Amino acid sequence: MTITIRVNGAEQSVDAPEDTPLLWVLRDWMGLKGTKFGCGIGQCGACTVHIDGSAQRSCITPVARVAGGEVSVTTIEGLASEDSLHPVQAAWLEHNVPQCGYCQSGQIMSAAALLDQETNPDDERISEFMAANLCRCGTYPRIHAAIRSVADGGAS
Amino acid sequence: MSGVSRRELFRLGAAGSGALVLGMVLPGCATAPDEREPTRVGAWAPNAWLEIDPDGGVAFTLDRVEMGQGTVTGITTLVAEELDVAPENIEVVFAPVGDAYINPQYGLQVTGGSSSVRTSWERVREAGARVRAVLLASAAEVWQEPVASLTTEDGHVLHPAGTQRMAYKDLLALAARQSMPEEVTLRRPEDFRYIGKHNRRLDALAKVTGQARFGIDVELEGMRYAVVARPPAIGARLVAFDDARARELPGVIDVLAIERGVAVVAESYWQAMKARGELSIEWDESDAVKVTQESVFRQYRQAADDSAGDTERSDGDAAGVLENADGVLEAEYEAPFLAHATMEPQNATAMVTDRGLEVWAPTQGPDLARIAAARTSGYSPGEIRVHTTFLGGGFGRRLTQEYVEEVAEIASQRQEPVKLVWSREDDIRHDVFRPAMLHRFRGALADGRVTAWDHQITGPLIFDWFARNAAAAQYPWAPRMFYNTLASVGRMTEDTFLTPKDHSAIEGAVDVPYAVPDLRVRHTHADAGVPVSYWRSVGHSHNGFAVETFMDELAHRAGEDPVAFRLRHLEDSPRHRAVLERAAEAAGWGGSLPEARARGVALHRSFGTFVAQVVEASIEDGAIRVHRVTCAADCGRMVNPDIVRMQMEGGILFGLTAALYGEVDWDDSGRLKQSNFHDYTLMRHDETPELSIILVENGEDPQGVGEPGTPPAIPALGNALFALTGERQRRTPFRAGSADA
Repeated sequence: MTITIRVNGAEQSVDAPEDTPLLWVLRDWMGLKGTKFGCGIGQCGACTVHIDGSAQRSCITPVARVAGGEVSVTTIEGLASEDSLHPVQAAWLEHNVPQCGYCQSGQIMSAAALLDQETNPDDERISEFMAANLCRCGTYPRIHAAIRSVADGGAS
Repeated sequence: MSGVSRRELFRLGAAGSGALVLGMVLPGCATAPDEREPTRVGAWAPNAWLEIDPDGGVAFTLDRVEMGQGTVTGITTLVAEELDVAPENIEVVFAPVGDAYINPQYGLQVTGGSSSVRTSWERVREAGARVRAVLLASAAEVWQEPVASLTTEDGHVLHPAGTQRMAYKDLLALAARQSMPEEVTLRRPEDFRYIGKHNRRLDALAKVTGQARFGIDVELEGMRYAVVARPPAIGARLVAFDDARARELPGVIDVLAIERGVAVVAESYWQAMKARGELSIEWDESDAVKVTQESVFRQYRQAADDSAGDTERSDGDAAGVLENADGVLEAEYEAPFLAHATMEPQNATAMVTDRGLEVWAPTQGPDLARIAAARTSGYSPGEIRVHTTFLGGGFGRRLTQEYVEEVAEIASQRQEPVKLVWSREDDIRHDVFRPAMLHRFRGALADGRVTAWDHQITGPLIFDWFARNAAAAQYPWAPRMFYNTLASVGRMTEDTFLTPKDHSAIEGAVDVPYAVPDLRVRHTHADAGVPVSYWRSVGHSHNGFAVETFMDELAHRAGEDPVAFRLRHLEDSPRHRAVLERAAEAAGWGGSLPEARARGVALHRSFGTFVAQVVEASIEDGAIRVHRVTCAADCGRMVNPDIVRMQMEGGILFGLTAALYGEVDWDDSGRLKQSNFHDYTLMRHDETPELSIILVENGEDPQGVGEPGTPPAIPALGNALFALTGERQRRTPFRAGSADA
């Protein structure tokens, strides 16, 4: 069926079964490959996007839940502004975070949502919030330092 | 705010995935290096690695894949140094299959064994230096100046008077007529501009903006999606299937039997998955492998009792000394089967063209992938082009190519582009595992020194499984009907002049660094029929655990400090000593600790690199908690120090994950119990210890960094838990409070 969704500020229509997880609509219907498939059960966070500003796992979010254009979806492709990186992305570069890079879209979307909601989360809060995102390469210490630097105003 | 503009961002982002731009837009246009022609109009392609186009673009063909370990940055830095073009001005292209790109360490085009920088250190720098020499000679001709008087700087040749400079791109026509020098002089380390200095990863921008293209991101015109229903137990065979319900579902295009199961082809992955759930399949399990970790270790114990195994190292007379020694210390250790769990599940894409078969795969072995595709597609290797992508983690998993076998079979039957995606459940259940291994030790002590050491390792040889495609990949002209014969011959001739010795069971044990006069290391071959493969640090992952735990047990028996005890056995091993001393010092070894915490130490050399680690741990509410890891590493000269640091960080957390959680097991019917991240647990952000990495700087040749951080982390934690509780951890994953006393 035809579903209208608002992604990265633009309304789009896709012809997809309504129980399809948002993840696959973004990736395979809309070509937004930056959002990654990791587990399919909301355990790894690789598929994290913003739904009305909050970090959500798109692999367990049926596309029908964001249909109609009232709800706003943001993916990694929509995070940077017109002429500059998002502060979290800039901090990621500053701290040379990515290794294989596969989980990083999800990590960055989680971190950006956290920092949007809480201006100065402490270390424990960062750790607790970011525990939803797995990284097999072991970039957690750098992710932590990067988020810390933005929270402390270092990269903005 | 970052100084990177959005325009620059996308320019760099595109550069970071340049290979895919080439491969995906123009299928069939990747050129085999043996008949190398430039991939761009008017470009000069002087060798298998470099191409300079008339606009000044420099493309570097990277023959070691990027799976996080940093080849895009590290190896590009090597060619940048000698060509004298800034690394960020070089476009990286992932290599097709080609003889020039074979890894000299393995005779295959594989990325693994922490060998990329080691084996590229001379070869890639020489490739850059030869091209630079030709450009210099060309400029000398134009200016009529002696070559020796000219210098270069970031893509330009400089005139001796300092008044003129000529861009490389303006010398291409002249350069193309010059012959390549046989001998070149490489830049002296004190003159390095990029090696040892360039720190920012070249692929970082593409990876923080979602622009990096992994295998799972490949998109082709008219592409279908496939999933495969595979045998529920190892070795089960397909008898029959009923696809009536599946075929009625929307989006389903086809259901077909393939060698490895039943494939569902649909318009989307989601539709294919739903249809797979509606298949009714009958499997013949009469020959299925039905084992558990417990039954495998029972089998290994029996094998170890029955056979002393092959002697892999023998100094003096360990057996004789142990027979007559008092108070011989005996210990047995178990390391279980482990899954790789790369964040990007296995996948591959294939398409039939009028020239043959095109395959896109996140693979650690493009030549192995080509054989895998040839096995099932009906095309010969010469008709198959393999395009590699960024890899969402490798850790050895992507040296095995079943996903390529599957997609090649499906795409050639369907005659339309197909992307195959494994679900996470597929990925865990159908992994090729780190082998379970059993270790038995006997050791004798006198006057605070180890006098005798006998180590018996029991378990499989990985090459027995790896030979399947590796043997044929070395003979790509051989007809498909001989692939299995080649594999059998490869297995049978292991450790002869035909096939190199497989060290996977014994590495890290035969090279134990401690000075022990009577020392023996043995391997008893036992294979449970479970498919196994390389897993980050391979044999070192279990031998490091066993050797360094036993050394700790000996230190305790001798009543000695674990660091001092090790140092006493390292008189002639200065680099081992140095990392151990530095790690101990930085960790405050022997100093005070918060209450209810303890430290443990381990030292292990693998892939040429010396690593010592001190782990600080506690047990809180019945759970093991790692607070801090101090690591000292000596990998010789560092091409990119921050990537070395990253690899140590990642290697440590990979090891700790195995130590805390790593285990797969089967139920009585041969079904793997684990399936996803809720029951195959990886360390998470909130459990991450503080990491302190010390990099020892020296001018020795560069060694491996992708794996050496992993082995010592496991025993260092186990030894810390012993110091904390008095209970020795003799099997992984470790248990708080339930270990053997």
